Amino acid sequence: MGTPPYRIWEILNRSEAGKFMEEKEFVRKRLIPELRRVVKKYNIKYDPAYPVNVDDSVADSVWNAAVEAFLSIGVYNKSNHRVIEFTEEDIKEAFLSLPGEYMFGAGKDARPFIARKVEDPRPPFMLFSPDITYDERDHFMVCVAFLKEPLLDGLCAPILEHFFGTKINSHSPSELGGSLMHAMNLLEAARLVGRPGIHLVAVGTAEADSSQIHVSSNEYGIRTTDSRLVASTTELETNNELLNKGLHYHQFGCYSGNLAGAIYGGYAGGAEGTAVLQTAYHIMGNLLYSSHYEQNFPFHLKYGSNTGRELLWVVSVYCQAIARNTKMPQTSNGFANAGPGTEMLYYETAAHSIASTVSGANLWEMAPARNKYPNRGTPLECKLAAEVGYGTVLSSLTRRDANSIVDKLLKQYEKDIPEAPIGKTFREMYEVEKAVPKKEALEQYKDVVKELKDLGVPFPY
Amino acid sequence: MSLTNDLNSAVKEGNIDESANLVEKILAQGTSASEVLDVLTGAIREVGDAFERFDIFLPEMMMAADAMIEVMKVLDPALKEEGKGTIESSAKILMASVKGDIHEIGKNIVITMLTANGYAIFDMGADVDSLEIVKIAEREKANVIGLSALMTTTMPGQKEVIDILNDMGLRDRFKVIIGGSPTSQEWAREIGADGWAKDASEAVKVVEKLIRES
Repeated sequence: MGTPPYRIWEILNRSEAGKFMEEKEFVRKRLIPELRRVVKKYNIKYDPAYPVNVDDSVADSVWNAAVEAFLSIGVYNKSNHRVIEFTEEDIKEAFLSLPGEYMFGAGKDARPFIARKVEDPRPPFMLFSPDITYDERDHFMVCVAFLKEPLLDGLCAPILEHFFGTKINSHSPSELGGSLMHAMNLLEAARLVGRPGIHLVAVGTAEADSSQIHVSSNEYGIRTTDSRLVASTTELETNNELLNKGLHYHQFGCYSGNLAGAIYGGYAGGAEGTAVLQTAYHIMGNLLYSSHYEQNFPFHLKYGSNTGRELLWVVSVYCQAIARNTKMPQTSNGFANAGPGTEMLYYETAAHSIASTVSGANLWEMAPARNKYPNRGTPLECKLAAEVGYGTVLSSLTRRDANSIVDKLLKQYEKDIPEAPIGKTFREMYEVEKAVPKKEALEQYKDVVKELKDLGVPFPY
Repeated sequence: MSLTNDLNSAVKEGNIDESANLVEKILAQGTSASEVLDVLTGAIREVGDAFERFDIFLPEMMMAADAMIEVMKVLDPALKEEGKGTIESSAKILMASVKGDIHEIGKNIVITMLTANGYAIFDMGADVDSLEIVKIAEREKANVIGLSALMTTTMPGQKEVIDILNDMGLRDRFKVIIGGSPTSQEWAREIGADGWAKDASEAVKVVEKLIRES
């Protein structure tokens, strides 16, 4: 079951006929002051003692503030300098029309994808995603390595850095070709590991709308049982190319998610404004793109990560705000500071997984090394996130329990965030030809799991 | 508290009217424009440092930069009368997110920091054609071209601008600085850029160095 597109042509018409405004005015006279105003009005306060929020009233205040801010700010279309505005009735109707669950993937590989609740006993959907580019020579085997992981419910694939030896250039033939290669590698890898119907989110190699449209195919590309992402630009802005993508996904018939990352320290200010803005993005995704789910990655302006204390609070609060007030399925996308093969990455991953799972999110893990260095991402950190996600629900962890554990984890790594190690590459961690971790990588994994268990991190076994 | 202390506080708080009034009052007392400029530069440096520590966030820095811009309009005539100018005031920086890249916040933070430090900026926005960047840089007589790329797939746009500068025989006319999350010093070297900065505060230092060298 999919979400019906919300009055799609009426909304797109608003993007043409909205109020004219220069972008500078939108940012300075709407975005910044409105976010500040609602944070003050609803008395939203970040408390560093609670990296996992335990107060329902804070989550509800953030939801109410987000609704009010979104209605007064709107969304800016950079292509024509028009502001797309919405009404309270739009929000009520669009959110009422959400089914709250979908079946992602096809055949025996299909998995339910649901709008989870706070402290929900149902496990999160485990979307594995390294979120980084890989060398062309390794891309296929990286896809295989991820798809071999048993706890994976879906894969947002590694991104291609090169196409036939040429560095992929956005909006050029190399991007069009690379996007198709990306899709073909994924499909072939999925079939070879015996999961032909697994849910894929692709293709991250395609920046251009034309490249996304190019790979839409139930025969050789991204299928209607898969999903695609449509982003916004900083903050609460879109353009015609993004609107084209959103429209195409609906007309092609696949699932789509709104990719949104409010920036902590940016226009939203501190943790409070960032939480409100990230919550508002759910409303934008539902109304503007009719997205089936929200793909969230709020991040720190300076570090590009979301595993620090302030950002984990942001994650827990917006997840709870959405889970308590809507039926919109959401994923929580981890961005760690440290790279593969470091203990710090596993600690960060555990903290992000617990905070997200207990707060009602599905998991989208894990982008290591600040999502900055090619080839630095492996299935091992995603496996750990999934195990901790299962452990969190199987042990009926409450938010208070989660807060205590996350606080302990943070104390182990937060001082190291500014100078986090970038870790190792996929080739250094894996036997590439077999697509399995090297012995020393597995041994380290086992040692870290033991340490994490000693700190109270729940595992399913 | 002295008027200069008041001015320092007013700029840091982004209070435009108060800052402008204070500059007029201080000048009327006979303080030289270059001394006032020192006060302003100190205030904006404190703002930059506070942002670097995340004691304040982008909106506060933008407000302080806006105050600085307005105050400089009041101060400029007095500076000219004194025959004073800064290296910064004679330099123009053209900024753009390269072709295919719709991300702007990193570039905009750099612009805020450079503006606050007295540089004249020509902002071409995002997703800008490479040849257009070169043509506008020529037209605007820019000293430095700043190129931002947030995606690995848009990094080639930075190289394309430098290639065009070389092909048109204009490479020596401009210093080129690049930045953006996936970029690096190695990439800057590989494509022949003059400088790379990992963040906005470093960008100000690199631009200052490039201008002094040019």
